[in-house]
Amino acid sequence: MDKTTKISSKSTSGKPIRCRAAVARKAGEPLVIEEVIVAPPQTGEVRVKIICTSLCYSDVTFLNLKDPPASFPTILGHEAVGVIESVGEGVSEFVEGDMVIPIFLSECGECTDCKSKKSNLCSKFPFKISPWLQDGTSRFTDLKGETIYHFLFVSSFTEYTVVHVANLTKVDSAIPPNRACLLGCGVSTGVGAAWKSANVKAGSTVAIFGLGSIGLAVAEGSRLCGAAKIIGVDINPEKFETAKAFGVTDFVDSRSTGDKRVSQIINEMTDGGADYCFECVGRAFLVEEAFASSRKGWGKTIVLGVDQPGSQLKFNSFDVLHLGKTILGSFFGGLKPKTDVQTLIKRYMDKELELDKFVTHEVGFEDINKAFDLLIGGKSLRCVIWMDK
Amino acid sequence: MDRAHIDESSKSSAGKPIRCRAAVARKAGEPLVMEEVIVAPPKFEEVRIRIICTSLCHTDVTYLKLKDPSACFPRILGHEAVGVVESVGEGVTEFHKGDTVIPIFMSECAECRDCKSKKSNLCSKFPFEISPWLHDGTSRFTDLKGQTLYHFMFVSSFVEYTVVHVANVTKLDSPIPPNRACLLSCGVSTGVGAAWRSANVEEGSTVAIFGLGSIGLAVAEGARLCGAAKIIGIDLNPEKFEIAKGFGITDFVNSRGCGDKRVSQIINEMTSGGADYCFECAGKAFLVEEAYACCRKGWGKTIVIGLDKPDSKLTFSSLEVLSQGKTIMGSTFGGLKPKSDIPIIIKRYMDEELELDKFVTHEVSFEDINKAFDLLLEGKSIRCVIWMDK
Repeated sequence: MDKTTKISSKSTSGKPIRCRAAVARKAGEPLVIEEVIVAPPQTGEVRVKIICTSLCYSDVTFLNLKDPPASFPTILGHEAVGVIESVGEGVSEFVEGDMVIPIFLSECGECTDCKSKKSNLCSKFPFKISPWLQDGTSRFTDLKGETIYHFLFVSSFTEYTVVHVANLTKVDSAIPPNRACLLGCGVSTGVGAAWKSANVKAGSTVAIFGLGSIGLAVAEGSRLCGAAKIIGVDINPEKFETAKAFGVTDFVDSRSTGDKRVSQIINEMTDGGADYCFECVGRAFLVEEAFASSRKGWGKTIVLGVDQPGSQLKFNSFDVLHLGKTILGSFFGGLKPKTDVQTLIKRYMDKELELDKFVTHEVGFEDINKAFDLLIGGKSLRCVIWMDK
Repeated sequence: MDRAHIDESSKSSAGKPIRCRAAVARKAGEPLVMEEVIVAPPKFEEVRIRIICTSLCHTDVTYLKLKDPSACFPRILGHEAVGVVESVGEGVTEFHKGDTVIPIFMSECAECRDCKSKKSNLCSKFPFEISPWLHDGTSRFTDLKGQTLYHFMFVSSFVEYTVVHVANVTKLDSPIPPNRACLLSCGVSTGVGAAWRSANVEEGSTVAIFGLGSIGLAVAEGARLCGAAKIIGIDLNPEKFEIAKGFGITDFVNSRGCGDKRVSQIINEMTSGGADYCFECAGKAFLVEEAYACCRKGWGKTIVIGLDKPDSKLTFSSLEVLSQGKTIMGSTFGGLKPKSDIPIIIKRYMDEELELDKFVTHEVSFEDINKAFDLLLEGKSIRCVIWMDK
């Protein structure tokens, strides 16, 4: 079995591949670079050689989670781009050599949701935090033969992964890989939330709670939609300078509002509330603050941040009834993984959507744990991890 | 001072107080007291209206019974009505004596940002509140001892003459019968509007309605007009289904007959995954949460219309809100603009599309107004119209 195989020789097709992976063996501990065995793709699956992958906070969350739905040992990572090394039975949509982005959100193309313009929540392969591929089994084993779990149907912290075709989007190879991988989660989620879920109108006012990558992607999406005022709210005032480049026009330091609530400040700044308020941190009280900051009559509050399981949002019945506001969640930005990501790629290639500014660091695969340190330390937006550096 | 049936054509009452009959709520939970009251002339931007007829809405009942600080007595309740302008105050150009009008608890000043926006019906100049006063913070009513009587919802229609701010008045240009017109100042407009305007119910869609009182039935009527294919009614009283069929309800769920299953489970089964629109029309927080649980993932809308107690909270799972693709919204007065949208609703009635007759199940005269309360509390009526001149 070859380590880093040449795809053109087709010598690995149908056989297990032995390659490097960064395995999460224990909650809260650094990933371990080790060799693993990646089984060939089964029916409806493809095996992908990862070119590069980027770190998203959800990977950090699940590395640190001691309880289910976290499971160990696992191969984390879910934002990536790669090239197809081989395809399983029944696969006609993709061929060996295609450049692809694996995506945690499925699109079977056949179910009522996939056929509807209004939904991106595939019913055939619903989203869930699963340790398996869609058929309930794993393609990964370690050298002792022990099963290694998948993550979000993607598992990109490995030189080779196996993904179901429903979780795969073809990519125009003209887009640089260290821009393409961003579209597997964070940037698509944020841009989509503004564009598709909220349908931000030109000239409107937007408030964004949390200026991490998601919040900045929402700002970028709002900028593309022509929002006139984009207010960024964060506990860290150092983020404002960076945020300006993403379209944020005003900043609220949520730790310096004195006696006033953040929503009061925003209501004053916007003459009654923002047209769209996005929560991009994952805290129930911030969703409630965002709701309070949205404009009566038409304001939309959009929930993007992933909170702890069991967390609840509470609203006054009276406010929901009488203020004319709307509350909605946005999963993967409301985007259909196959069709809409193509649109984002095009907008990038047409130099409208800016992706370069999201990548603040790049490391080689063996330094993957540095990516975690940078993100947890608040020093990076997106750190790209190259497999072949 | 003249009593009721003053000769308005002689203009003798303009500018003067009017002495007339009112059904006064004097004590929480007790029947209204028919007595004579003094109605002051309209002030700046107000009109005085002779009520033709008025209908009873559950909110009147709620505030008759309320003991806590929100309630106040003595008060003239009633907020669904139609009448004729008897005189206008200074600065009024929109209305003239003799105009047939509907007073509405929702204001429309037409100048503020909300009134100018197509997206909002929540006037900022005169925001919605259950106030004991008119907009200037004073009352036009006193009893014969000179004691102030409180207003209700800026309307106060259980009286032969009332005073209302022009922002709360809509002119009626068409010959709609009074005992149909009065329904449009609250309940029917709220329900029909919620389906049409707030939810924008699409043709062929599936709707679930929690609570089959007048509001729920009005939502059904609105959904029917929008061409909904399946309209599921949920109530704890199975006797309501027969009547509900006349309003477009196609399926019924008895919320007390579900056994081990939750209502939302039953509805998810009936609709292969959830209704496109779920309306809560009973005013119970737990029902809003149930409605949310059975609206269709991906695109389902949950619309809150019923009003729960002041402190009640709606609770949702953060992760579900994030990942289920559902929308939650409230609807006040059906999202309708009182002055602009009511004429559209009236036109649909006059064109025989919107059916209003079926909402009126009883009619009484003013002195029997307390019977209207009994009928509603006993669950025997949908809308009971109270005629001033019967």
